[in-house]
Amino acid sequence: MPHRLEITLKPEMPDAEGEGIRKKALDYFGIQLHQVRVVHILTIDAELSAEQLKTIQTEIFTNPVTQTSSYAPLPMTFDWIIWVGYRPGVKDNPGSTAMEAIQDVLGIPLGENEAVYTSRRYCIQCKGMRSEEADKIAGELLANDLIQQWKIFSKDAWDPATGVGMITPRVVLNHTPTASDIPIDSDAGLMQLSDERNLALNPKDVPTIRAYFLEETNQKERAEKGLHNPTDLELEYISQARSDHCNHNSFQGLFHYTDLSTGETETIDSLFKTCIEAPTLQLKAQKPWVVSVLWDNAGAGKFDDDHHYVITGETHNSPSNMEAYGGAITGIVGIYRDPMGTGKGSKLIMGSYGFCVGPRNYDGDLKPRLHPRRLLDGVIEGVRDGGNKSGIPTTYGQVMFHPGYLGKCLVFVTALGIMPALVQGEPSHEKDIEPGDFVVMSGGRVGKDGIHGVTAASETFSENTPAGHVQIGDPYTQKKMHDFLLEARDEGLMRFITDNGGGGLSSSVGETARFSNGCDIQLEKVPLKYEGLDQWEIWISESQERMTVAVQPENLDRFLELSALHAVESTVIGTYTDSGKLHITYDGQTCAYVDMDLMKSGFPQWAFDAEWISPVQRGLYEPVLDTPVDFNQLLLDLLSRPNLASKEWISRQYDHEVQGTSVIKPLVGAERDMTSDASVIRPVLTSEKGLAFSQALLPFYSVIDAFHMTTCTMDEAVRRLVAVGAGLDHIGGVDNFCWPSIQYDPRTNPDGKFKAAQLVRSCQALRDMCLAYEIPLLSGKDSMYVDGHLTGRYGESHKISALETLQFSATGIVQNIHKCVTMECKVPGDLVYVVGVTRDEMGASEYYEHLGYVGCNIPKVNPRDFLRLYHAVARAIEMELVASAHGVYRGGLGVHLAMVAMGGNLGMALNLEAVPEQGCRRNDALLFSESAGRFIITMDPSNRETFEMIFKDLPCACIGSVTQTPELKIADLDGRPMVATPVSELKKAWKAPFGALI
Amino acid sequence: MKAVNVLVLTGYGLNCDNETAYAFELAGAVAQRVHINALIAGAVSLSEFQILVFGGGFSWGDDHGAGVIQAVRMKTSIGRDLFDFVEKGNLVMGICNGFQTLVNLGLLPGFDLAAQKPENALRSVAVTFNDCGNFRDQWVNMRVNPASSCVYTQGLTDLELPVRHGEGKFYTDPETLKRLKDNQQVALQYALPDGHPADQAFPYNPNGSISDIAGICDSTGRIFGLMPHPEAYNHWTNHPDWPLMKEKLKRRGEPLPSGLTPGLQMLANGVNYFR
Repeated sequence: MPHRLEITLKPEMPDAEGEGIRKKALDYFGIQLHQVRVVHILTIDAELSAEQLKTIQTEIFTNPVTQTSSYAPLPMTFDWIIWVGYRPGVKDNPGSTAMEAIQDVLGIPLGENEAVYTSRRYCIQCKGMRSEEADKIAGELLANDLIQQWKIFSKDAWDPATGVGMITPRVVLNHTPTASDIPIDSDAGLMQLSDERNLALNPKDVPTIRAYFLEETNQKERAEKGLHNPTDLELEYISQARSDHCNHNSFQGLFHYTDLSTGETETIDSLFKTCIEAPTLQLKAQKPWVVSVLWDNAGAGKFDDDHHYVITGETHNSPSNMEAYGGAITGIVGIYRDPMGTGKGSKLIMGSYGFCVGPRNYDGDLKPRLHPRRLLDGVIEGVRDGGNKSGIPTTYGQVMFHPGYLGKCLVFVTALGIMPALVQGEPSHEKDIEPGDFVVMSGGRVGKDGIHGVTAASETFSENTPAGHVQIGDPYTQKKMHDFLLEARDEGLMRFITDNGGGGLSSSVGETARFSNGCDIQLEKVPLKYEGLDQWEIWISESQERMTVAVQPENLDRFLELSALHAVESTVIGTYTDSGKLHITYDGQTCAYVDMDLMKSGFPQWAFDAEWISPVQRGLYEPVLDTPVDFNQLLLDLLSRPNLASKEWISRQYDHEVQGTSVIKPLVGAERDMTSDASVIRPVLTSEKGLAFSQALLPFYSVIDAFHMTTCTMDEAVRRLVAVGAGLDHIGGVDNFCWPSIQYDPRTNPDGKFKAAQLVRSCQALRDMCLAYEIPLLSGKDSMYVDGHLTGRYGESHKISALETLQFSATGIVQNIHKCVTMECKVPGDLVYVVGVTRDEMGASEYYEHLGYVGCNIPKVNPRDFLRLYHAVARAIEMELVASAHGVYRGGLGVHLAMVAMGGNLGMALNLEAVPEQGCRRNDALLFSESAGRFIITMDPSNRETFEMIFKDLPCACIGSVTQTPELKIADLDGRPMVATPVSELKKAWKAPFGALI
Repeated sequence: MKAVNVLVLTGYGLNCDNETAYAFELAGAVAQRVHINALIAGAVSLSEFQILVFGGGFSWGDDHGAGVIQAVRMKTSIGRDLFDFVEKGNLVMGICNGFQTLVNLGLLPGFDLAAQKPENALRSVAVTFNDCGNFRDQWVNMRVNPASSCVYTQGLTDLELPVRHGEGKFYTDPETLKRLKDNQQVALQYALPDGHPADQAFPYNPNGSISDIAGICDSTGRIFGLMPHPEAYNHWTNHPDWPLMKEKLKRRGEPLPSGLTPGLQMLANGVNYFR
């Protein structure tokens, strides 16, 4: 019989969780609640005696100082009650730890079918609240119907004896696992079955698939194993391996590119090969620090003689768009498995985030599934719990708002790890598998999670169907696994390691078995969360927190012993072979038997038409605009724009100092509230070498040209590294493309050819910049369908495509962390320099956007000129001449001079006339043009001579000085006062949009 | 000089073990990271150590109150050993999640541990959810109570350390609070940058702790729990203002800081207690 324990804070204790909900109800809906108190419920579905129940109540689940609890409904004051619990099969992390604790305290094991479920009862005090408002709070604030169920009780409907009732969301499948045979009589028939069964086969792949299974030798070999037609598992395996997610068909595609303004055409066979692989291989050959690229879960660069750092990044857009918290925590915890599965395994050392969402205060007609405000809160909290509970510092991050992300948000997550250069005397970045090695699965168990991704969202729910397609990452389970695997690595117990992410075992085993050229898998050995999964489901389930490891037979006992010590489940599920076959059985019966090289055999390449229409052809032009008069208000208004404003509240809730490695934090300056140009950590505690990290996102420029969007984004990332003191001889890059669909369709994607051309141009810019700045791409990913269909005011559906977006991450090495600099001005009397040329490049700038224009003159990158400058800046920092360095980014010089002043909480007296410029003798352009390649530097006047010698013949000029009086004063081109604003006013404006958030 | 051995617990979601062990080494100790299960199973014996550290992290995900399940696990398996370890005159330190664990174990406030048995050591203080409603990472200023017998804070004056927690609000009833104060067991309190008491003002008191309490010790001063992280100030560049400090020192022609940071000094006090 289940037991329901209700726990709540004593009445005299403030309820911070309830207070947070009260504030959100006001912020989200304008509903003024009087008070919210939260009752935490544990539904314990286990046979326990009254005495045992009492023990766990007092020993574990009730803090005598702060809490009160009862197995009967607690009497609470309320006008409405909303109960929220998980749907069956949704990962209930606190439920699992409650099980562990109960078994510990009682000293008894709980049975297979016994479980603990957590839920919450929100007791809302609000006189006169209507039931529609209660519905809204339940469905749009407290719960998400994808993963949760809820009940609403008015005061009258509440029965104090029965309370919320006894709900145990146990998964009951009542299903005998079956491997089915799929007929392949015709292409059309197979395609139809593919649609019916959600196999998502590509129609172009179907003939190749049929040909393989109809081939005579194959048929004969398969018949010996009792197989005839392909099984559902085999087709699922092929579908996974051929998916755009795993196979990157778009980037490997054939592009027919036409420039409609010149008529020139070009055919590009694989953007990946020509624009990513080729420059990276070329640079790898030139740069000995490049350790491992283009094949493993993440790339590796040399940190010092004894260590390699490892980096990769990806996105988790679609799941986060459906369930923001679950999608984001699964994303960050998932990306952390990639460095763990790189080389022989690395230790996680930092993470970062990038969120692109609709306007936070959006009040238009479109109805996104989650309002951007709720969505952003959810993804922030997901990355917070995923990162903090993993014990990995989140040292950097960015947020962008744009209506294009209403259709689908972007959630970028990036992970860095470190590994010793040698493990047991062998290079750590190399790994291989020998026939006879065991296939071991470590970590979590397998359920119906993530099967067929979001397509499952349309399935109807019953009381006990698992809502598995949206997952909730479990950093606790993964952290235990991380600690275990590092010890196993150091003892030399693992020959190969990779993570289970998209595609589950199908990908991890399918890909690793290529190293030995075959495997025998016994699927019934895979530990399950609940019985009743079909074989194909076990094979492709994306249940999280799992790694696949190749263990030599002689090391197995020690591996399993260490696993047990760390309370991590590890199971042998098969053996690697050299049979050339992927052979899968379930209880002795074969359910897959295909050639290992099947995936290499003749699948057709995807093809795209790409048509470039130049900005001028598209009718873009510079606005007819006269220079403003009130620059003080203009500057304040720009600082208050959401994309420029302070987002301190996010950095503060992310642990950015765990591991004790922090050198340059995400927040810097006299009041520790300014956004740093980049972060620096000291990943090897005994060394004073630093690892610098930065990212940039400039999707707004894609409105004019994705080529320049890309060059500016990469330039910004590099400049950010230079600004904190990283050297230019070592820059690692990670490209994360998020693009709307590029497959032309006259009805559903009429501008598909243009978007394809934008992608081609972006990739070519990536290639050019990699070669010019000498940035090997250590890792990268693409997410190709950033579109959404939203309902409008009249019930009509709108397709909303995101801006073509590239997030570029860059890594650099700081030889001596004592030489790092931060962005804020530091000492009154210091000189203020502007490095780099300001041009009339206001196209797609924040300034134009503020005034409602796009314009046409987009900032352009001139790598050769810029690099000479960057070397000079790096030299000045290396010689410890500068007190502060800050790049000029979005918003332009005006905005970033304000940042430097706010950072120091000091004033500056500046003269616009002195700013190095070309064709830009206009006050507003000088202040707000977003020309790339620029820095603001402040410096002790005594260093003037040496500094100016370094910048001899380079565009660099002293434009004024730092003042004790905290006021930003700028004189215009004619020497007249133009800006005179107290720094406190600047900061007030900069913090206006989000400063009240905690 | 005789080696002072420090045991730093690891496992089950703890996550500051590496830097805590490193910081204790810098403070002059020999530090060993030991998995909770290895200690429980007896593979490692407490008798070889002088200092036991419950470090930061999210033990068992902090799912049912921070430090609760870790305390339950320790109490039911090696509760007696822990009390014996203390009775022998050794030191215990709980940082962040470790502090939360110590109060759930009943080792803190430890008014009269010698008279207590682990099974009836009561929880009389709590470290609970921040009033601000969220996890926070920030550096805090603190006042050190010079009258406290706390071994770790001897000789320290005002200091800064980072806090990183969602459940750091110290709470207890008025009588217990009075007893803590009368016994000088309140070793650390949040303060304003000028050294005055924070007096509940956010963010200087980052979590709403009553009486601005950041750390307490037991009546002997040998058991110490605090929310801020001394191990995260293991290098002077951990301090958020270091670039400004450096610039000012440079202009005055003075050298960069050397020697132990205040965070390391706190750990060194523990180590030097045995010398």
